[in-house]
Amino acid sequence: MKKTALLLLTLLLGLSLFSCGKSVDKNRVVVAQQFGLGYAPVILMQELNLIEKYYPEAQVEWVRLGSGGAIREGMAGGNIDVGSMGVPPYLIAWAKGYDYKIISALCEMPLGLQTYHENVKTLKDIKPGMKIALPSPGSIQHILLSMAAAKELGNPKALDQNIIAMAHPDGVNALINQVEIDGHFTSPPYIFKELEQDNIHQVVNARDAFGGDFTFLVTAATGQLKKRNPELFNAVYKALEEAIIMLNENPEKTAEYVAPVLNLDRETYMKYITWEGVRFSTNPHGLLTFLDFMNEAGYVDRNTENVKDLLWETLDPAWAD
Amino acid sequence: MLKSEIRERRVTVITKVLFIFVLFFFWEYLPVWTGRDKLFPPLSRVLESLWQNLTTGELLQHIKFSLYLIFSGIGLGIILAFFLTAFCMISKTFARIMDVIVSIMHPLPGIALLPVVMLLVGLGAKAIIIIIIHSILWPLIVNSLAGFRAIPKIQLELGRNIGMSEFRLIWAVMIPNAFPYILSGLKIAWARSWRALVSAEMVFGASGVVGGLGWFIYKTRYFMDIESVFAGLISVIIIGMLVDEFLLKTLENKTVKKWGMSA
Repeated sequence: MKKTALLLLTLLLGLSLFSCGKSVDKNRVVVAQQFGLGYAPVILMQELNLIEKYYPEAQVEWVRLGSGGAIREGMAGGNIDVGSMGVPPYLIAWAKGYDYKIISALCEMPLGLQTYHENVKTLKDIKPGMKIALPSPGSIQHILLSMAAAKELGNPKALDQNIIAMAHPDGVNALINQVEIDGHFTSPPYIFKELEQDNIHQVVNARDAFGGDFTFLVTAATGQLKKRNPELFNAVYKALEEAIIMLNENPEKTAEYVAPVLNLDRETYMKYITWEGVRFSTNPHGLLTFLDFMNEAGYVDRNTENVKDLLWETLDPAWAD
Repeated sequence: MLKSEIRERRVTVITKVLFIFVLFFFWEYLPVWTGRDKLFPPLSRVLESLWQNLTTGELLQHIKFSLYLIFSGIGLGIILAFFLTAFCMISKTFARIMDVIVSIMHPLPGIALLPVVMLLVGLGAKAIIIIIIHSILWPLIVNSLAGFRAIPKIQLELGRNIGMSEFRLIWAVMIPNAFPYILSGLKIAWARSWRALVSAEMVFGASGVVGGLGWFIYKTRYFMDIESVFAGLISVIIIGMLVDEFLLKTLENKTVKKWGMSA
């Protein structure tokens, strides 16, 4: 009898763990923090307490996770309310039917594939066994590489066996020292560092592969947050908007807050933030092109014609595509 | 066989089957009841994905590559362990040095070594095979040495007295005596090599041309394809069980049990 009771108790405990409801404070918002030039608006939002500016009662909790994948999983599990990521990782989650949409875009950036092999001029010169480092499968870098492969080689998955996952800083070190990898598909500021080297050249320019300008990072928010506290939800958007306006109109001022977080000196920061192709904007572009391509290539299986399906009401669909 | 023994066996089987049935039942329905089926897919969806991944051949490729890595690692590990153990048996000095090496290396997780290994040999299959060798070599040596050291002196002396050659002594007395230890070393090695492989691929995404099961799980995770993540996990479990059940158990039955050394 005792044994059965114990068993039942354990089972109940397991059940309660499995379905533990999170009773959270209405004014609490959990925001994922990330580092990289593209996340400058989010960093600014944190450094200047902008969410609190628009919603004084807000209790903002910043969490730092190892990877974009972990942020997405945290949002899916209901532990994170607001998180930023590349467009394709967001679309993968959207296609799986998770309850979060884009609250604001963050930036457009120059991305690309670099190599130190002098004889590798196009993707056709990449031989089997050559390794291309990028942050993870399904990342924007991976999807852009697939787009380039579709264009140049006729098969989006032609290079899927060449990719290996590597964090940006490790990839830069490996490429500059010409060890472990043959190519690196990366984003700012890492791509700037690589292009400054004499022995490294670009093989794929992401803008060409995509066929135009496209948004690099977006900030997504969960439906839960919107339902729980619409005003707080709007405050997050306003905070991002203010940060983005400041980055565009007064980049010198942002240097003081953002450069130390990114571990850059003021001069380098200014050079990077005004680099050609770096633009901060709340309006997302290229979402539908990404989504169409990812459906065609078989990376996701849900599509939409209407960009509204991807956006919260904070954004005007007339300014997005 | 006694009647009570037959009954005992029957109860064991029934308990196991019942437990698995209950487990599967909850796996299928609990996620749906709690509305969390997106994060924890029900069994039927996992099996469906397993089947899909198997029929497209993708999963099989990864499994083949995993097995290739593991068996290369284990094969080389066994050969290395054999020679190192033999040297230990021949030379007391070598055995002392080996003791120190083992106590330094044995507690070191293979995955912690990966950054160093990657610097030395680069990314890819070679690095992972080295990690696998590292994670099985030390338990194999420790176990084999313990086995050889536990041989009763009287048996060795008896063997010498009846005029056995040194080679015959090793083959007929020492190896059979130490075999239960070697076998448990092999079992540990098998489990640890799997862990080393999957974690190495998941932490560093270090893959060869195709990538093994760890890379499969890693890849599907980033596409939020949770069903396939589970399919990968199930493949790891099934292969582990098959090898344990067929390869290792058969080896045990043919040797230790046949020789009457364990029940």
